[in-house]
Amino acid sequence: MKALTRSDLHPAMYLEEEQKLWREMLAGDVTAYEHLIDRTYDLLFHYGTKFNGDRELIKDCIQDVFLGVWEKRNALNPEIPPKPYLLASLRRRLHRLASRLRMDCMDYYNESDIVFDLEFNAEYQLIESENDRILASRMTEMLNELPKRQKEAVFLRFYNDMEREEIAMVMDIQPQSVSNLLQEAFKFIKSHWKAIVSLVLALPF
Amino acid sequence: MDRYRDFSLGEFVWDKPFRNWVLNPTREDDETWQNWLAAHPEKREMVERARKLVLSIRPANASLSNPEKRKAVERIVERLEARNLDSAEERRPPWYAGRAVRVAAILVLLAGLGWMFRLRHQPKAVGYEQLVAATKMEMRETVNATDQPLTVSLEDGSSITLDPGSKISYPPHFGDGHRGRREVFLSGKAFFDIAKDPSKPFFVYANELVTKVLGTSFTVRSFADEQEVSVAVRTGKVAVFSREDPDMPEKQSSRELTGVVIEPNQQVVFVRTSVKITKSLVPEPEVVADAGVAPHLEFDEAPVSAVLSALQSAYGIDIIYDKNIMDECPITATLTEMSLYEQLDLVCKAVNASYESIDGRIVVEGKGCRNN
Repeated sequence: MKALTRSDLHPAMYLEEEQKLWREMLAGDVTAYEHLIDRTYDLLFHYGTKFNGDRELIKDCIQDVFLGVWEKRNALNPEIPPKPYLLASLRRRLHRLASRLRMDCMDYYNESDIVFDLEFNAEYQLIESENDRILASRMTEMLNELPKRQKEAVFLRFYNDMEREEIAMVMDIQPQSVSNLLQEAFKFIKSHWKAIVSLVLALPF
Repeated sequence: MDRYRDFSLGEFVWDKPFRNWVLNPTREDDETWQNWLAAHPEKREMVERARKLVLSIRPANASLSNPEKRKAVERIVERLEARNLDSAEERRPPWYAGRAVRVAAILVLLAGLGWMFRLRHQPKAVGYEQLVAATKMEMRETVNATDQPLTVSLEDGSSITLDPGSKISYPPHFGDGHRGRREVFLSGKAFFDIAKDPSKPFFVYANELVTKVLGTSFTVRSFADEQEVSVAVRTGKVAVFSREDPDMPEKQSSRELTGVVIEPNQQVVFVRTSVKITKSLVPEPEVVADAGVAPHLEFDEAPVSAVLSALQSAYGIDIIYDKNIMDECPITATLTEMSLYEQLDLVCKAVNASYESIDGRIVVEGKGCRNN
């Protein structure tokens, strides 16, 4: 299977390619279906494991999402962006699963078990400057302090290149709420950024 | 691109197009940024620092190797193809269309209905605890934990003699509440001597049996672990009915004694597993107290019919016999100091007859004495 890589394409073309695969898949093209799975699998897997650490469970859920999409393909809109749609389906599925588990064993599961739980890591080997290493480590700590829903919005926006409306679709909230989440995250980042930078500059190296 | 001229390090790090170029560079992005940097060499260092920060700070992703991903993707496609094969065979009759399956389904349905019917009609074992719990009245409980009979006196003058291991619940006052009834609940065995008060019938609830009396003495035996519940009357009359009796409310409120009415020396036995009430004689009938101070039970050449009639009034039990036949048989006997059954045995032996206890009565049959 020849997979197009992003570097071959203009961003708009890349998205256009995804949309094209989606349309072809909905029309019953199994090859397009496989391409689409291949292209979105990493994102779905990484997103899913932020909610639940059981990787086999996440794989099963992703499989259910895709089989469900194929089954409903006649009813699906060929013009909706596939990535947010798939992420939203996976998210819903994980929530349903968690609430089923909650019903089964009331006391052991609570709301906090189904929220997005993301840790940021800093890979220092890329950075030569000691100053910037400290900066990176402080930034990482700061990101990890973000409330979980803000983290999810930041993850989708800054690490997965999603638009406000797409994030709203994934998180099942109003686009305005996405803006609010991102704004709050930024206020937090900015207020800490200044402190971090001044601290780093004050260090004697 | 002009806006980037005054960008700080932090602004670069969180700038969406900048990040896109760093994280997912397209050929066009790369061209644009390289051109801009060539035009702004003073920004090179900052851009490089920002680029490394963006690259180094990443969400901690669970590792997903390429082979693992391939396997997962292929599995989805295989599943899909398997499903498509299934739907291609859709024209094959579905599994439930077969005759055998349909017959089986009907049988299962019938079995289910039968089971439901059984469940609905299965005798419900009713226990003392449930009965007491169900009453809304204030109750007092007496438990006989001794090995001697224990007498409990009720407010209305009635007395209850509790056998060892038995307990009774009764209201401290028989108020006018609950339609003027006197109601008690028994577990175990007790002898009741109930003060007469026709306006306030007395009820004994013992497991499945309800005993209604107006004023009399009787014994109720109702142990939770026994299969039978019995009521035996000493004096007067009592009515017994099952809690499951559909006419129970009527029987309870009726001024008359309806249900299975039992008289002295009769008893009813309720077999809990079969919900059947049978009436019989108590094992050892006793002479009814007000039948006459000393029943005359010495006979000299008296007809058997006279003997049976005397026994009938002594014990208050119906004795059925053919008067014409029994008139012919004379008997001389002293029947004092004997139980009813010994007396009957003796009499029947003398006149070549036999007796049976049927439905709480004694039926005597014989061929008569004409040929003797």
